[in-house]
Amino acid sequence: MSAKRQSPFFLWRHLNKLRWLTLTTVFVMLVALPFVHLYQTYVAAHAYDLLSPSEVQIYDAVEALTAPFTNDPAEDLDAIKGNTWSGTFWGVKLSDPLAALGQMAAGRTLYWPFLLTALIPIGLSVVFGRFFCGWICPATLIYELNSNFAAWLHWAGFNPGNRHFDKRIKYGVLALGVIGSAATGSVLVAAVYPPAIVGREIYYAVALGGFGTGAVFFLGTLLFDLLVARRGFCRVLCPGGALYSLLGRYRLVRIRRIVEDCNDCAKCNAVCEFDLDPLRDNFGQECNNCTACIAICPTDAMTFTLRLTDIEPQGSGHLGRQYIREQDKQGNGT
Amino acid sequence: MERRSALQKLTTAAALLAVGVAPYGISTLLSSEQSVSRRRSLEKAKRRNYLRPPGALKDDAAFVAACIGCGLCGEVCPPRCILFHGQGGGAKVNTPYIKPEEKGCILCNKCMEVCPTEALVETAREKIDMGLAQIDRTACYPWVDRGICGACVSICPLGDRAITFKLFNQYRPVIEKGCVGCGLCVEVCPHPSVPIWVIDRPSAKRNTQKA
Repeated sequence: MSAKRQSPFFLWRHLNKLRWLTLTTVFVMLVALPFVHLYQTYVAAHAYDLLSPSEVQIYDAVEALTAPFTNDPAEDLDAIKGNTWSGTFWGVKLSDPLAALGQMAAGRTLYWPFLLTALIPIGLSVVFGRFFCGWICPATLIYELNSNFAAWLHWAGFNPGNRHFDKRIKYGVLALGVIGSAATGSVLVAAVYPPAIVGREIYYAVALGGFGTGAVFFLGTLLFDLLVARRGFCRVLCPGGALYSLLGRYRLVRIRRIVEDCNDCAKCNAVCEFDLDPLRDNFGQECNNCTACIAICPTDAMTFTLRLTDIEPQGSGHLGRQYIREQDKQGNGT
Repeated sequence: MERRSALQKLTTAAALLAVGVAPYGISTLLSSEQSVSRRRSLEKAKRRNYLRPPGALKDDAAFVAACIGCGLCGEVCPPRCILFHGQGGGAKVNTPYIKPEEKGCILCNKCMEVCPTEALVETAREKIDMGLAQIDRTACYPWVDRGICGACVSICPLGDRAITFKLFNQYRPVIEKGCVGCGLCVEVCPHPSVPIWVIDRPSAKRNTQKA
């Protein structure tokens, strides 16, 4: 039996670490870019002698970090600007598909140059599903830390609630947001979409001297996740998550359970941030390929596969007690 | 008697003439004069409390619809003059604006280049229309003979197309038609009450209708 075991590529179970790394990198970039911008404004103004002591610290720190890579800070550091809602990378503009959808609804126009900036994210979502939610979204980092905090509270004896809501509510939020944007003529979805809020509010806080209203909303979602439903906002309410789920419905890259290796321990279900059912091969359109279930699986029974749909439910794992019992029964019967 | 009746006739004629002319006088007093003054005051009083960044769509509703609130324009702005509407902005929340009293626009074009949507359209420097500066001649130092200044004239990035000294009356600044409303003169004005501000360009509506 052990000879038949097909083990997944050994790197797959380390992808979760890589994911934490990319999430952290995106977040650090979002914090760093406003400081880089401050430095650029000081350089452009030739104002080093007029800076206050704290500004001098920013100037010196950013200069030390960027001087090896730039000749002209005022121009060269413009290479990477913006946030995950919309940004430029060496002249390539990338935008969130939700931004394109919301702007299309608000203006009731098709502005191709802008819609094309969402093409690469859309293409990647069609192949990798909701990968943005798990791998890039700056709010995910905070939300996952928040759910770790909730788990710690649970361990410490406090029991924050974990209600379950219908996950389809978020498609309603998406529809409502798009209709509302069209009705009011302003991009309303941007006000309730955490990655847009986080990117923007960090910039406001660093460069413009204070958080805006979005920070209050984001804090509310954190409390909702902590006290009402674990990862409730992403699972149930996020309009962007709804759009990415729809785009990734027939994603090519999926996680699959190797039923021969599974022992039904259900750790994958416990660790799944999106409350999916990897144990019974039920990923659906909402899996964000975060690979947490691959990383935690004690028997290496989770792997990637290239399919447009989930495989049929395979029943209980062959290393599990229930499967062995069923086999015994069949053996006794015949 | 003769003279008296002649006088009487004269006064009656004058009274009749006055009554006959009265409607015209009253009508000019009431309607046309008032409407003229109203139009003038509208043109004069459209002082802008905030400016949109350069190249912004002229129709503010269209601008709000096109803007996704990504903040890129602010993030590339070298003088950091682009601010964002906060809580009080209503539907305009997270859309960019410039407050010239704090910091004017240097017309560097970076925000127009980086804007992913059509909210900020790349526009030639002279074609930018953020408004038109207006000087309060009852407060500006040179205009009330309280000294010489010229700060607004020397800061202007567009030179004498936009603001010049008054001919034969040096040091008194005069706004020209080439002004694009960047607001640098407002930022630099040393007068405590800042007797220079940016108004809507009076012919803006007619221009947009043609275009």
